Amino acid sequence: MKLRSRLAIFCAKIIYMASTRLKRGSGSSLPGHVAACIDPEILSGLSCMVRKKVIAVTGTNGKTTTNSILTHVLEAHGLKVISNRLGANLPDGVVSAFVLAADSQGQIDADYACIEVDELSSESVFSRLRPHCVIVTNIFRDQMDRIGEVDTVCKRIQEALKHVPEAELVINGDDVCSRMLADCCRNPVTTYGIGEKLAENLPTGPQEIIFCPACGARLKYDLVQYGQLGIWHCPVCGFHRPRPDISAAEIYFSGCYSFTLAGTPVRTHFREPYNVYNTLAAYAGLWIVEAPRQKFHPVIEQFDYGNDRESTYTIDGAHVQLFLAKNPVGFQQKLFLIRQDPKPKDVFIQINDTKLDGEDTSWLWDVDYDNLSDTSVKTVTVGGIRSSDMELCLKYEGISCSSAADIRHTIQGLILQGSRNLYIVTNYSGLYRTNRILQRIQSVRKGGSRL
Amino acid sequence: MKLKIGHLYPELFNLYGDRGNVRCLEKRLQWRGIDAEIISLAVGERIDFTDLDIVCWGGCSDRESELAAKYLTGICRDFKAYVEDGGCVLAICAAYQLLGDYYETDRGKTEGLGILDIYTKWAPERLVGNIVLKSELVPMPVVGFENHSGRTFIGGYSPFGTVSSGHGNTENDDYEGLIYKNVIATYLHGPLLPKNPQICDLILKRALQRRYNTDIILETLPDEAEHKANHQIVIRFPT
Repeated sequence: MKLRSRLAIFCAKIIYMASTRLKRGSGSSLPGHVAACIDPEILSGLSCMVRKKVIAVTGTNGKTTTNSILTHVLEAHGLKVISNRLGANLPDGVVSAFVLAADSQGQIDADYACIEVDELSSESVFSRLRPHCVIVTNIFRDQMDRIGEVDTVCKRIQEALKHVPEAELVINGDDVCSRMLADCCRNPVTTYGIGEKLAENLPTGPQEIIFCPACGARLKYDLVQYGQLGIWHCPVCGFHRPRPDISAAEIYFSGCYSFTLAGTPVRTHFREPYNVYNTLAAYAGLWIVEAPRQKFHPVIEQFDYGNDRESTYTIDGAHVQLFLAKNPVGFQQKLFLIRQDPKPKDVFIQINDTKLDGEDTSWLWDVDYDNLSDTSVKTVTVGGIRSSDMELCLKYEGISCSSAADIRHTIQGLILQGSRNLYIVTNYSGLYRTNRILQRIQSVRKGGSRL
Repeated sequence: MKLKIGHLYPELFNLYGDRGNVRCLEKRLQWRGIDAEIISLAVGERIDFTDLDIVCWGGCSDRESELAAKYLTGICRDFKAYVEDGGCVLAICAAYQLLGDYYETDRGKTEGLGILDIYTKWAPERLVGNIVLKSELVPMPVVGFENHSGRTFIGGYSPFGTVSSGHGNTENDDYEGLIYKNVIATYLHGPLLPKNPQICDLILKRALQRRYNTDIILETLPDEAEHKANHQIVIRFPT
């Protein structure tokens, strides 16, 4: 390996050690940034050392979960996997995952690489990562001030795929947007989908595509899951949902989801409808690259779908669930899950508008808040930089709420007032901080003193 | 009393929480004991503009706007007559552009409805961000979010407002949007009306006056939440 690459790796590792010792950030992107500055070719150089396959995961929702399933399943087979498991999916984060996995000689010892890639970074990353397989989870509206319309996202991923025309493209065939994206690519396509209803009363939310992308006629749905996902076809030109190569059957929900995948039943620990899709996405990716899958089902049955990002806490006996909601379809799913829990509950919603969140909060008005007007929801509190936007939105939906400046005091106050069941919904920038606050309160409470 | 609010092509023009504008008009009527009927004007259906009091029209993607074009030609004449007769229109983003003569991009020229004698030209740099205006229509500052690559040239029309913070119709002039008779056309979403209740009430008042042909004084509503949300943007994005 050339000296420049080794120097890049050396510097990246020093920076990583320094940043973790000094507890400055997670060290997930700065090392990659520096390495790429020293050697712009570093990613392509390291990626081609992966012995078997490189799998990239992109799309709007479910990237981190899908990538995490891939990584866990492969590792369960005793394989070595490079993965940006912290969800650092911008180019620097991807480079970090590789340089930190390299040894001092600049060599990579890995069978697979499973890499989550931000939709807008796909072009710059794919051209260097050169994945053998690209999984697109779905395309929904998300951070429109940064990302743009769904058509823009589709075009960006299509451009990215031109760099890897042989890569196996895995898409959610139930998603018209993904089908539209795949239709304009030359890549071989594998699809997954679900032929039966995931949940009753699942709010559909905004549908990104209502009219046929091919001819403009109104699409017909035999089954709607949520958003534009479902079994769809165009009655005029015949454009239709592809028959899925991989699908879930005999879906059964009793607290958690059970279903049959590739002929074998699987009993999971998750209750989120969208995680059925994420599981299928991962299976389809492994299937098409012919990776080992014997342990897929047992891994799934034990898998933590929260990725440490959506944790549950117990604070003075109260159950506290943290949820991430960063776009309308995600928010709506989280509200549905809150409603599914029949126990009385309090809800705290935190909305920020930093660059990480998207500065435009108009998407809040695309969410259906019906699930919050259920009698089991005792109180709703709003917080964050844009709390007043959230408050206003709820006012026009006829849902009363109070606003609070400090999340820590709010949580402690609610528990002090007797809340036994608390849900916290936050968008992206508040996630890590809220997690840290909850961890701290939980450990202090375990230490003895009452609130 | 009652108003009929038409939501034009909601399935195509729904990009930036635009249904919030319709919701705001509806609620602020109902809170005053005035009936509101929301009519979803779907593509392909016949629209009776003479029956409508307010038309809300939102933003959409370029692909969807091309899709809408064939339906729009069919409603052009009636829509224009409605505007000339003083019908209230709230047109946001793509709808604002489509009211004009044309939208010229690097890929060619899209014809608009030609109801307003304005035109829009595409430029590669998108104008994105929070925006604050001073509008002659209302005392409160008008706040919203803009996100557009089109630059709209409004000729001799009055602007909707003067830009205090943000971009506006183009990056080089101080104006945003336009007003013509009872049309308000603007790039501001957010959505526009909930955070600018005075604009909402102005539209309601004008529509009621037109429908009932009498002077209307709207009952004052408790608007603390609206004012707070408006004020937060004003102080964060000073001139």
